[in-house]
Amino acid sequence: MKRVSVDIGGTFTDCFVIWGDRYVQSKALTTKHNLALGFNEALDYACREVGTSREQMLAEVDSVRYATTLGTNALIERRGPRIGLITTAGFKSTVPLARGRGYGEGLSMEEQQDIPNARRPEPIVPIEMIRIVRERIDYKGEVLIELDEDDLRRQIRDLVDAGAEALVVAFTNSVVNPVHELRVQDIFVEDYPEHMLGAVPLLLSHQVAGRKGEYVRSMSTIMDAFLHKVMYFGLSSLERNLRASGYVKPMLVVHNSGGMAQLNSTDALQTVHSGPVSGIAAAEHLAKCAKLGNVVATDMGGTSYDIGLVVDGGVKFYDFQPTIERWLVSVPMVHLATLGSGGGSIAQHNRMYNTVQCGPTSAGSDPGPACYDRGGMKPTVTDADLLLGYLDPANYANGYIKLNPRRARQVIEDQLCDPMDLDLIEAAKLIKRTVDLDMANGVATELRTFGYEPSEFTLLTYGGNGPLHACGIARGLGIGRILAPPFASVFSACGAGNLSQLHIHEMSTFTVLFDSMTKQLFTDFAKFNAMVEELERRGREDLLRQGMPVEKIGYRLELDMRYGNQRVQTTVVTDMTRLETLADVVKLINQFHTSYGDRFGEGSQAAEAGVRINTIRVCSFVELDAVDFSDIHPGQKRVPAPAPVGSRKCHFVDHDGAIETAVYDAAALEHGVVIDGPAVITTSHTTYLVEPGWRFEAAAQGAAWFTRIDA
Amino acid sequence: MNVMPGIATLSVGERKLLQDFVDEHQLFYGPDPAIMRNHKLEPRTAAEDAAMKKHDDPHLLNQVRGRVISALSESFRMVEQMGAAPGAKWGDLVTAIFSASGDLSEISPAGIVTFAGVCQYPIKFVNKYWTHDPTVGVRHGDGFIHNDSRYGGIHNTDQSMMMPVFHEGELVCWVSSTIHEGENGAIEPGGMPAKAESRFDEGLKMSPFRIVEDFQVKRDILTFLQNSVRDPKLQFEDLKVKLHACLRLMDRVRAVIAEFGKDALVAYLRRNLEDTEAEVHRRIAELPDGTVRFNTWIDSTLREPALLKVACAARVKGDRMTMDFRGTSPQLSNRSVNAVMGSTKVCFLTGVLQNIWPDLPHNQGVLAAFDFESDANSLLDANNDAPCAMSLLPMFRTITVATVSFPKFIYGLPDGAKARATVTLAAQYNQPATFVYGGLTQHMEVTGNFCADINGNGQGARENRDGEHGVSPLFGFMCDTGEYELAEEELPMVRLIAQHLATDRVGWGKYRGGLGYEQMVTARGTSMWGFMTGQSGSWFCSAPGLFGGYSCPAYPIAKVKDANVFDWFKEKGNAARFPYDIVELMNERPIESGRYVTADAGMTFEMVQEGEIYMICQGAGGGYGDVLERDPAAVMKDLSEDLISHESARDIYHVVYDRRTLIVDAAGTRAARDAERAARKARGKPYADFVRDWVTEAPAEDLPYFGSWGDTGRIIAGSGKTRQVMDAGAIQPVFMPDPRELRIAALEARVAELEG
Repeated sequence: MKRVSVDIGGTFTDCFVIWGDRYVQSKALTTKHNLALGFNEALDYACREVGTSREQMLAEVDSVRYATTLGTNALIERRGPRIGLITTAGFKSTVPLARGRGYGEGLSMEEQQDIPNARRPEPIVPIEMIRIVRERIDYKGEVLIELDEDDLRRQIRDLVDAGAEALVVAFTNSVVNPVHELRVQDIFVEDYPEHMLGAVPLLLSHQVAGRKGEYVRSMSTIMDAFLHKVMYFGLSSLERNLRASGYVKPMLVVHNSGGMAQLNSTDALQTVHSGPVSGIAAAEHLAKCAKLGNVVATDMGGTSYDIGLVVDGGVKFYDFQPTIERWLVSVPMVHLATLGSGGGSIAQHNRMYNTVQCGPTSAGSDPGPACYDRGGMKPTVTDADLLLGYLDPANYANGYIKLNPRRARQVIEDQLCDPMDLDLIEAAKLIKRTVDLDMANGVATELRTFGYEPSEFTLLTYGGNGPLHACGIARGLGIGRILAPPFASVFSACGAGNLSQLHIHEMSTFTVLFDSMTKQLFTDFAKFNAMVEELERRGREDLLRQGMPVEKIGYRLELDMRYGNQRVQTTVVTDMTRLETLADVVKLINQFHTSYGDRFGEGSQAAEAGVRINTIRVCSFVELDAVDFSDIHPGQKRVPAPAPVGSRKCHFVDHDGAIETAVYDAAALEHGVVIDGPAVITTSHTTYLVEPGWRFEAAAQGAAWFTRIDA
Repeated sequence: MNVMPGIATLSVGERKLLQDFVDEHQLFYGPDPAIMRNHKLEPRTAAEDAAMKKHDDPHLLNQVRGRVISALSESFRMVEQMGAAPGAKWGDLVTAIFSASGDLSEISPAGIVTFAGVCQYPIKFVNKYWTHDPTVGVRHGDGFIHNDSRYGGIHNTDQSMMMPVFHEGELVCWVSSTIHEGENGAIEPGGMPAKAESRFDEGLKMSPFRIVEDFQVKRDILTFLQNSVRDPKLQFEDLKVKLHACLRLMDRVRAVIAEFGKDALVAYLRRNLEDTEAEVHRRIAELPDGTVRFNTWIDSTLREPALLKVACAARVKGDRMTMDFRGTSPQLSNRSVNAVMGSTKVCFLTGVLQNIWPDLPHNQGVLAAFDFESDANSLLDANNDAPCAMSLLPMFRTITVATVSFPKFIYGLPDGAKARATVTLAAQYNQPATFVYGGLTQHMEVTGNFCADINGNGQGARENRDGEHGVSPLFGFMCDTGEYELAEEELPMVRLIAQHLATDRVGWGKYRGGLGYEQMVTARGTSMWGFMTGQSGSWFCSAPGLFGGYSCPAYPIAKVKDANVFDWFKEKGNAARFPYDIVELMNERPIESGRYVTADAGMTFEMVQEGEIYMICQGAGGGYGDVLERDPAAVMKDLSEDLISHESARDIYHVVYDRRTLIVDAAGTRAARDAERAARKARGKPYADFVRDWVTEAPAEDLPYFGSWGDTGRIIAGSGKTRQVMDAGAIQPVFMPDPRELRIAALEARVAELEG
């Protein structure tokens, strides 16, 4: 197997190359003006590692895969076309009002609570670019008001005159009857052929999101239109770059649903957050290969802490209405929770409780922690880590940043030690403990909300600050096993390298499996099966278009089910592809009963109130070869630890006084080396902190295990 | 008949004898004033004292806090996801933890403060009356349900589940889960009957009682509850939801005890309250001593027009702050717009936490730092016989009271003051502007509830920028107005206007308030459907401006009756001339067969035929500062977004500009504004002259006025010959005549007149 996978982040372009039995990781700075340059640099580095040329490598690989934060960055920077929105008369303010809660999406709880300071994000579509058209379709698809085509033509003209560079059409209930949206498309093509208008894209909401919910579907379509250009140019320039280097196969783009597809089968919206989602996909693949059971994937960076959930048995966790940047959208995205805790989190004195509070405000990277010596005047988690002895001031971030302990000491003494009457080290320990427990509590909330106990999980840790805080977080969770995975510094790229080609299609439905009023079970199997068949057909066409053989295509049927009139939609992944008998219906209901009980507690089920399917989803996929991680378990062999490269006085939470702590270079730790904490192990991109009571063990492929030994 | 001597003549021993006898022979355990009137923290118990001595490390208690908040977040998300009531789906819910004595110590981070705040009262009731009652008792695995606002609650549509948490036989805390359920079997569907004339019209009246034993719902009692409401499915589903949220919370609390020990939990729960109260006193001490008065009027009883005064004098002295509500309207004993004082106080707490000090923990320690004064039998302090199904009307005013009063204390504080925790702002729109509905759905299910539009009040303008349009309401943050496609899938309602920011519905000012949105709704596909509303403010603008900003507009309800708009749409050309604007529709009257009605926004339940149109408007927030100081560029932006008309730009903001290009004539604007300032001076008069010309001894004779008029010691009630004047210390409940009887009488008089 030969393959190239890339994760283009805001700062670094990460590359993971599979070259037969060799796996190579490389990095380069992201070149935003021309992404291909950073990609080429990272790829060239990998080529040198395996001793081949870029052209040769690209000629031999089976695929090149991209995960990218391009879309996220474009949203943050508001780089996109001027969009005009055409919506149903009476719904003009739906998008501007953002369901009343739109002021707070994507913000911390503290910011959400400060409602006097509420501020909706700068709109992608300003109010003056929204037009209404007379038409109306009801909940079951019946036309109540015919589309007023004269009105429509006027509104399109108006938007074009106002400078619209892309048009979005979002009509109410178009997912159950798209006739009016499709008619807009016809009229637009008739009235504005490409030679007249140039390439003004027109997007129809029902083709972007298949679910009911007029606001989130509108926002999904708007975001898709907004990102289309930047994604198209960004990714197609990469594709041209590949062509120029001799790559002739299709380029594959990672989707936030956890699959991937060719560029021409990818909506821009599907690429947002694909980098972090690739990390979760890597965790899923790792867990499956190495039979790790339940895994919680955590990525601690400078400003945030991402949490993903991977459980045994293939259960999928989606956010159906995820927040992207500052907006709710409707797209089935792999569940990803983000906490406002990172190395840059600011620690401040809480006067009321006379203790320390970490985050959610962050010093970020500019000015960054006080010890960066770039003007940061507030104590941060990294300042505490430095004073506790975990970080080497001369070799932080591979030596890119020199740390100044004097600055860290000064801000902590002034802002925390004085008001709390603590000495410097006590204050630093308090910061470390607080941020670790904050993250532990955040992880616990996530897992338990889905019905899982943290103690049943392995904590997977990656990201620049993850392995430094992993022991503290795991202790707070009651987790005894931590894995710093292979290729941790390019983990998302590694995830992209192991994905299957996958397309998700879904359809809103009002399918009552059990009607508690009439006491009837569902029997209209033909109708249900027709919907499934239609979704399979769409997925099959996507894959066939990309050259996948029909016999390799698999389908997974997922049903979002609920009791009575609940909001919750528990996803039931069924091994059935069609319903044929009442026994099938009861089987589905029973499966839902089990999933629901696992999540919310046995006895919480309420079939007495009726059982419904809200959404039918078909995942159409072709499984591809992937890296084998089955040998990364610890304890397969033992070799003596090398001599430490040095030692430092470190301070640890719940331990008095300084402890002389050995420092190791991770590059010198072979598979089988075991080191009991305390120890500090440095790598080029991060620091492993093995706290007292924990054991470090180097495993195959660069995996690192931390096991609690004092429990 | 022998009569016992007056109690004052009894000896101490005799009094005790009497009290013991009464205690043993209690006819009815009604709401206990000792509980309901006390918003202060319960005294520290010996167990709390010992626990706090044992655990005095604030950092350890902070770890406990982190665990508990995580648990509350988890249980909140459970309820939000599992709940069936619209209120649960769109954010009107909470989970909470209380001390063993019943003080609210922490709520789920995104929960509704008011719900949890009032839940202390029923818990204290259970502690006091059921714990030692041999027929009841409080045991591990018990769950108590409650909804009657007289025992603590906003109104009877909210239902709470409360469960005690024991450790080795000792009660260590309580946990709760509350949802705005909606339907509760009242005289009108939907749970908030505007028509209620007595508490017996309010549907379910659950005093706190046990419905869960050994963690199992007692099906016989649940059946009774289901039998008492129109939507037995909802009652069934959400009871389970609340129970399992409490169970989850209880599990987590036990885990905290296992990790830190029982005393650490007890110490945290108490310390949390005392630390918070101390912080609030410190903030009050930062405020200047003095009194700020703010009076506002509710203009409807939801049955008839009336001016119901909500009086407030906020007094600061040292680190104490007193909210003095004396002079408020008397209670209306056969109208639904009364509130009990325990709930009033908690609603005020919401105002403080929502708009003044949002950084404070949401617990009872905040409330305990304030003092309150009120007149018994007043609208905010009604007795237990008064219906309070639509208590939102007076109680939301107490949120406005906080929002408007505090800025006047805070205005002069330095930026670094803790009491200046956020920006100051004018009042948010304070009406429950939504449709309550009931009837038979297209899926043949009987239902009654309310629409999530209640969650979209226009925000008051801020000291530094305009208010947000239709944002999370004045009683909670991150509440959701929902998706209409999902609502229409379940309910036989079609929105002709779902959300539309209509022109000129503005609270004007240097910074304008956020606008509310119009709603135009009709019914389709049902044989039985109806609407009601609980909105006032059709005559008296309910959200005032601040520091010179204007109030929000007044909003009526409008209807097109006796016509089916869907049939009308089918006729060629009609759809093209339907105005998607309430004012235009009512003025142009394009549906020829329709009967066009404009009325007071408060509407009791009425049946609606397919295709009849009902229209209301979410309101705007108040403006901030002088309209003449508004940046002309902001005025042009409002124009470009159709938020204001050219007439308003000219006549209110006095901006001179080109109507076609919206380019501002800066010199012309300066001149126009200078001219307006000069005109203001010309119109102005010395204060003494104003008082002489304006102030009257009493309200106009024909004005249905309720409350004090100048002197808070005298309370006026009613108009004309039936007007009463009462001493504030001896307010008698007021009964309103039946509007239909009055109408009949008027018509009969007219008939008699015509018949000669």
